[in-house]
Amino acid sequence: MLSVQDLHKSFGDIRALRGCSFDVGRGHMLGFLGPNGAGKTTAMRTVFRLIGPDSGTVTWDGKPIEPDDLLRFGYMPEQRGLYPKMRAMDQLAYLGRLHGLSKTSARDSAQSWLERFDLGERAEDPVESLSHGNQQRVQLAAALVHDPELLVLDEPFSGLDPIAVETMSDVLREQAKSGKAVVFSSHQLDLIEDLCEEVAIINAGEIVVNGNVETLKDRAPIRHLELEVEGDPSTLVDALEGVLSTKLNGERLTAVISADTDVRGFIAHAQEAGKVRHFAYTTPSLSDLFREAVR
Amino acid sequence: MSGLGPLWQIANREIGQRARSKAYLITTGLTILIVLALIALPTIFGSETEESTVGSVGVGNEQIVQTAVGLGNANDDPGVPPSVAIEVVEFEDRERATAALEAGEVDAVLIEGEEVVVQSTSGFDGSSIANQLQRAAGAVQIQMVIAEQGQQAEDIIELLTSDPLELTTLSEGDPAESESRTIIAYFGLLLLYMAVLLYGTWILTGVTEEKSNRVVEVLLSTVRPWQILGGKILGIGTLAIVQLLGTIAVAVVALRVTGAFDLPPIELPAVLNLLLWFVIGFLIYAVLFGAAGSLVSRTEEANTIAMPMSMAAVAGFFVSIVTLDDPDGPVAVISTFIPVTAPFVVPVRTALQAIPVWQYGLALLICVASIVGLTLVGGRIYAGGLLRFGGRVGVREAWQSANE
Repeated sequence: MLSVQDLHKSFGDIRALRGCSFDVGRGHMLGFLGPNGAGKTTAMRTVFRLIGPDSGTVTWDGKPIEPDDLLRFGYMPEQRGLYPKMRAMDQLAYLGRLHGLSKTSARDSAQSWLERFDLGERAEDPVESLSHGNQQRVQLAAALVHDPELLVLDEPFSGLDPIAVETMSDVLREQAKSGKAVVFSSHQLDLIEDLCEEVAIINAGEIVVNGNVETLKDRAPIRHLELEVEGDPSTLVDALEGVLSTKLNGERLTAVISADTDVRGFIAHAQEAGKVRHFAYTTPSLSDLFREAVR
Repeated sequence: MSGLGPLWQIANREIGQRARSKAYLITTGLTILIVLALIALPTIFGSETEESTVGSVGVGNEQIVQTAVGLGNANDDPGVPPSVAIEVVEFEDRERATAALEAGEVDAVLIEGEEVVVQSTSGFDGSSIANQLQRAAGAVQIQMVIAEQGQQAEDIIELLTSDPLELTTLSEGDPAESESRTIIAYFGLLLLYMAVLLYGTWILTGVTEEKSNRVVEVLLSTVRPWQILGGKILGIGTLAIVQLLGTIAVAVVALRVTGAFDLPPIELPAVLNLLLWFVIGFLIYAVLFGAAGSLVSRTEEANTIAMPMSMAAVAGFFVSIVTLDDPDGPVAVISTFIPVTAPFVVPVRTALQAIPVWQYGLALLICVASIVGLTLVGGRIYAGGLLRFGGRVGVREAWQSANE
C-alpha cells in the first residue's frame, strides 16, 4: 500500500503542500483531483523522491521509500518526456532495463505493450515521427514496461481522443484488477467517477475530501431532486422542506435539497397534483462534490 | 541492484545512440583525415627535387650554378632524388633573358657571374633560387681565393657544408627520447584540448536536451542523478577514448607506411602518463560541463553557459605552450596546481623532466580530489537544476533545491 502522510512542502513563499495525506492499496485505483496549482504534481513527485518534503512521510507497505523501491514503481509525468530520436522499441526496452529487467524480458515486454497499443508496426520508428496520441501511448507503455506494483500517472487522459481514452481506461482497470496500486490525476470528473472507487480531492495543498466515491456521495449533506408533472410543478416546491435551490426548466423542476429531508410525503403530494412523468432523487455527482470541496 | 547497473545502462545508451550518429562518424572521419594529411603532406612535397631553370648571359655563370647544386645536395642521403636541380639556358643578351624571365620560362637570370635578376623578391618562388645563387657566388669567391693557395674546389664545398654540430642536452637521458616524449605530450594535449571542447559540449547539450525534452523526469523517477551524470560521462568518455586511440593507431600506421618521420622510440610510461592525464582532464571538464548543462532548459542557452569552461580549456592549452618554453617558470608551477590547467601542463612538464616528484604527486592529488569534490558539488547542482524548468537556474538555487 502506498501511504502519503501529512506532507508539507514550500517553494520559497509558495506553500505547495499543507498537510497532504492519502492511501492507495494494492488492487485499488485512486482518482486524485484538484484545481490547477493545488499541489497534485508536487505530491506525486514526492512519491518518486523527486522532491523532498519539508515534513511528512511517504511509505510503501509501511516502510519509507528507498531507491530500490522505485524500480517497482511506474511513473507518467505530466510533462511527457521521451528521447525524440530514439526508436519506440529501443526506448521502452531501455527504460525496462533501467528498472532492472534483463535484456530479453525488457524487449519482450516492450514488444507486447506496443502491440497492445496497436503500435507493433511502428516499433522501429523514432518516437518523434509518431502522432501526439501515439506518443502518449508510448509514454504509458514506458510506465508499464517493467510491470510495476504501483502506478502513478499525472494527467494520463489529457489530450487523448475518445478511443485512446477508452484504451487507457481499460488498461488502468486491468492493472488495478491484477493487484496493482493505481493513482492518477485528472480534470475529467466523469471519467474518474466511472473508473475509480476512491477519490482524493486536494485544494491549496490540503486534502479536503478523501474516500470511497459512493460513501462520499451518501454522506453528502445534499440530494438532487428532479420532477416533471403535467401542470405547473413550481407550486409543489412549497410543500418541500429543506430546499436549498431550485431551477425550473419548462415543466421540469430541479432542486437541491437537504439530505435529511423526507421526500416520501412530497411524492404523494406530487401525485395528487397531476400525473408524474419523471421523478428522480439522487446523490450529488462527483462534480458537485468537487465544486463544494474546492469552493 | 547496485548503483552501477543503471550507470552502465545509461553509458550503453549514450554509446549506442551516439556512435551511430552522423556527428560522431563525421568528426572521427575528419580527425583521421587531418592526421593523415599532416603526415602525408611533408612526404609528398619533401621527396620532390626542387627544380629551377636559370638563364645565363655571358661568361662566369657556370661555376656558380655548379656550386649551387653542390651546396644544395651536400647533405642528401645516398639513393634518394637530389634536393636541388638547376637547368641552365643560354641567352645572347640581357634583353632576351629578361623577356624569358617575364614569360616565366626561367626562374632567374645570371649575368656575367655578377648579377642575378628575378621577377620579385616578395614571394617565395624566385627568392629561393636567388638565395641559392647568392650563397653559391659567395662560395665561388672564397673558392677562388683559396684556389690561389692550391686547394681543390671539391674540398672547399665539403668544408662549407660540414656535418651539423652534435646536439647534447643538460637534462638526463637520450635527447632523442626526450624529444619523442615532448612530441607525444604535445600531441596528447592537443587531443585533450579537442576532446574537452568537443565532447564536453556533447555532455553539456546532452544534459540540456534531456531536460528540454523532459525525459529527465522519467529517468529521475528510477535513477539517481549521479548515475545519470556518471553514465553520460562514461559513455561519451568511452567514445572520446575510442576516437583518440583510433586516431593514434591510424597515425602510427601512416607514419610506418610513409616513413615521413623517423618514428621516435615510443616509451610505454610516457604514453600511460599521457593517458592518465587525458582521463583526469576529461573527467574534470566533463563534470563541469554536465553540471552547467543542468542549469539551462534550452539548447540555445547551452552555448552561453559553456563559456567559462571553454575559456578555461583555452587558457590551459596556452599555458601548456608557455610551459614548453619555460617548464620551470612561475606560470608552469602555478598552473600545475590548478585543476583546470594541470591536465594540460603536467604532461608537458613530465615529458621535459622539469617537474619535481612532489609537484607531480600534489597535482595528481589535487586533481583527483577535485574530481571527487566536483562530482559531489556538480552532482548536487545537477540534481537541483534538472527539475527546475523554464529559464536559467542559478547555481545557488540549484544547490538549495537539491533534496539530498
